Amino acid sequence: MRRWLLRILAVLPLAGGAALAGDAPAKTQRIASLNLCADELLLRLVEPQRIASVTWLARDPRGSNVAALAAAVPVNRGLAEEIVPQRPDLVVAGKYTTRTTVGLLKRLDIPLLELDVPQTVEAVAEQIRQLAHAVGEPERGEALIAGMTARLDALDALDALAQGQRPTAVVLRPNGFVAGSGSLVDTILTRAGLDNLADRLPLGSQGALPLEAIILGGAERLIVDAAPDAPPSLAHAVLHHPAVAALATRVRVVSLPSRLWTCAGPQIAEAAELLAVGREAAP
Amino acid sequence: MSRLPLDERIPYAALVAGLAVLTLALGLASVAIGYVPFDLGAAFGDLLGGRATLPALVLAELRIPRAALGLLVGFSLGLTGAAMQGWLRNPLAEPGLVGVSSAAALGAVVVFYSGLSATVALALPLGGMAGAAAAALLLNVMAARGAGTTTLVIGGIAINSLAGSLTALALNLAPNPYAALEIVFWLMGSLADRSTDQLWLVLPPMLAGWALTLSGARALDALTLGEDTARSLGFNLAALRVRLIAGAALAVGSAVSVTGAVGFVGLVGPHLLRPLVGARPGRLLPVSGLAGASLTLAADIAVRLLPTRPELKLGVVTALIGAPFLIALIWRLRREEP
Repeated sequence: MRRWLLRILAVLPLAGGAALAGDAPAKTQRIASLNLCADELLLRLVEPQRIASVTWLARDPRGSNVAALAAAVPVNRGLAEEIVPQRPDLVVAGKYTTRTTVGLLKRLDIPLLELDVPQTVEAVAEQIRQLAHAVGEPERGEALIAGMTARLDALDALDALAQGQRPTAVVLRPNGFVAGSGSLVDTILTRAGLDNLADRLPLGSQGALPLEAIILGGAERLIVDAAPDAPPSLAHAVLHHPAVAALATRVRVVSLPSRLWTCAGPQIAEAAELLAVGREAAP
Repeated sequence: MSRLPLDERIPYAALVAGLAVLTLALGLASVAIGYVPFDLGAAFGDLLGGRATLPALVLAELRIPRAALGLLVGFSLGLTGAAMQGWLRNPLAEPGLVGVSSAAALGAVVVFYSGLSATVALALPLGGMAGAAAAALLLNVMAARGAGTTTLVIGGIAINSLAGSLTALALNLAPNPYAALEIVFWLMGSLADRSTDQLWLVLPPMLAGWALTLSGARALDALTLGEDTARSLGFNLAALRVRLIAGAALAVGSAVSVTGAVGFVGLVGPHLLRPLVGARPGRLLPVSGLAGASLTLAADIAVRLLPTRPELKLGVVTALIGAPFLIALIWRLRREEP
């Protein structure tokens, strides 16, 4: 009889605990990320103790907006053999990256959230909301969205003042890549009050273009996706070509760190703000 | 009607002049034919009149350096190919096939991706030259032991694979995430978006390399009679080797350091022209340079006209011409020396 009582007493706190936890949505405790863009959102939404690992890219301040936060979290290189032993409650992956790892995680029935590549501000907000919900931090998600939207709305007010004066702009990225319509970069350009010229370039608007085609396009602003302290590569050498330097004497060249618009996230507001400054004629 | 040998039907001066005109015409065509049609006359007018228009900018900063580099790199490869064939007395000696180009690419890659060339621009051609010199010295050691065609080709395969894999290793170790993908440029070569900076950087060493190589013309002629005869005629063969190795290192090393390794240019020209110059290696040198320049310029025009995106690497086009040529050459050699 006493033994029974003891057992019931021993079980009670657990039951009580479960009842308490039921009041708020259960939060996933061990989350892993396989994609830099997912890393950034995750580190902004969730305290580091609940993150099993993020990609090694998140620690590189040249490419990541959350390098400081990532320093406190283990890193992975996107391999299933790294992720599985971490026993994550949730793995966040990009829809187009680390497909082999994602395939294996699916076969092992590990909970998975795949993030698409948003192309509009609304889709960026929706993605933040979706991830915030999945990790049980809807308030923090809404706060991120509100901050981003407020900054972008402020730019729209500026645009109204400019009375439809939209200078044409073309984006030059490493290897001579340009950003055409339908991309997030195009959305950000438009929000910053610029007119993306990419679709009207002589050789089309997607992929790598020869510098000649970009220069002869005649855009009024050249947005260089710069990484001034990046280690040397031919891809980045295109951005420092003497022809680009010579062009800078004729049109305004705006330098924008690529980390601000490589990924969908609240940092796109900062990208748009820098571009809106660059929209003004040369200082 | 008796048939004269080819070299007597076409006077040498006319051959040189004809090839020079062809090279210049292709150089002008390369300036005129870009990716985007534009008014070349107006662009030249703006450039000469000092008006900073977009076409003038494209002409001065992109098209002219590209065509000039195509000409210089092609001349360097053609000239060096002819010189190596004369020196090693081997028809398959060519900077690409024997590994001089890929070793130069390795040298340039190490200097470029380590960041050295970002602080000291001259380090880039120097890196290419060091690689080319190392491969040429290795060839010299092999040739000293009396290398036949087989030894030379196997040696070339060995140097090419070693330099290629070390280049891949260096690119994978490079901290920039784009670096690993850039191996295609270094192994196949390209003139896309080259600049005037690069042109001025490699022009002096290339000219020095040409001068050294061309100064060996008479000694190469004598060498066709055999080493002993050449020595008895008063030619210092050790000095010739030093000159040719230095010439190859300067010309090919600096060429590869800005355009990557473009193959087969040094093979096709000399073989097409050898019958026209009476099989005299000394007279073959300048015409092979011009033929190499023409071939490179024509291939570079082709990559811009072909509707592939991203564009083909230059080495793809030269290999499409050169590799069948090499197969035909090996076929003929097999019949000649069974």
